[in-house]
Amino acid sequence: MNAKNYSNELADRLNLQEYLTEQWRFFETVYIRKIMGISSKDLGYKMKMPIIGRLLRWSAENMIHSESKRRNPVRADGHFGQVVPLEDAKIILGSLAAEPIIENYCMCRWMQRGIKELSCINFGVLSGVIEKLPRFIPKDTKLRLDREEAIERLEEHNRKGYVASVWFQPVPYINAICSCETPECCGLRLRNDFGLMTVYKAEYVMKIDVDKCQVCLSCIPRCQFGARRYVPSLKRITVDPSKCFGCGVCRHVCRHDALSLVPREEVPGLKGQY
Amino acid sequence: MGKTKISIDYTKCGEKGKVDPRNCAKCLKACDPAIFIMHEAVDAELDPIDPQLWRVTPYWTSLCTRCMKCVEACPEHAITVKW
Repeated sequence: MNAKNYSNELADRLNLQEYLTEQWRFFETVYIRKIMGISSKDLGYKMKMPIIGRLLRWSAENMIHSESKRRNPVRADGHFGQVVPLEDAKIILGSLAAEPIIENYCMCRWMQRGIKELSCINFGVLSGVIEKLPRFIPKDTKLRLDREEAIERLEEHNRKGYVASVWFQPVPYINAICSCETPECCGLRLRNDFGLMTVYKAEYVMKIDVDKCQVCLSCIPRCQFGARRYVPSLKRITVDPSKCFGCGVCRHVCRHDALSLVPREEVPGLKGQY
Repeated sequence: MGKTKISIDYTKCGEKGKVDPRNCAKCLKACDPAIFIMHEAVDAELDPIDPQLWRVTPYWTSLCTRCMKCVEACPEHAITVKW
């Protein structure tokens, strides 16, 4: 957590006001636009093509992680994120995030389900940009939040089952904490269904205390990543550590205090596996 | 499994049709793997601040399970799924 990445100075230095305005004016068409003559429509089929598929994957990864000066605002250049558990998200919103903080409609859910739901918390330069675009903001609700309100709202989303994630837009500037769900989130979709590194796993992984767990099974449907299952022969719940993103959302439904997050780096097999 | 081809008749739905997908969005909600995307019509669009012309594109077609729920859900019968 580097405070510099959240600062308005960084945004000014990269001239992001203009860049983000351009990007957000056309946000929903980011998938539809052709890049070098190829749109990412039917991406699954295109990436299965022998040589072109590998080339596409390579260029998509480059685009997502681009730090070049010639980034194109109508593409998702340099836009990737990481899942964070509620505790870390609270620290970000409580001290690191630049003012003003706003809550606007999740544009992924809007694009993919036609649902407008207030769940994205944006901050810094991006807030000013989004405030001018009517389709992302509610009419009669309070838009700007203070730090306490933002934390409260995020906790509410987290308890509902949404995964908190922090986003570069563009790297290295951080300006959003989203509450995502599979499969609507465009980032999680590209990661889970197509293996592109748009969202990284959190710095933690879930651990079940077998002695405390009463096998009530209520945590299983809570997992957005399909990382846990009930194993009938053992009569207990297991977590697939390679699938667990360490979001900590399942903890909210555990009545027996059996779930806890452990740092990913402390599990030898998961070291560096984000 | 071979390729699935999903097409939407834009004379019935979208910027030229009588249904505004923003008000309907039944296909988006009916699809379990969420393969449709709703976006402002790129060619026709005039107002980038508050776009009024929207259309639905079948996008992640490789994830389609051919369950036909979208075809049943569409009130304008604008969707066809072929393979």
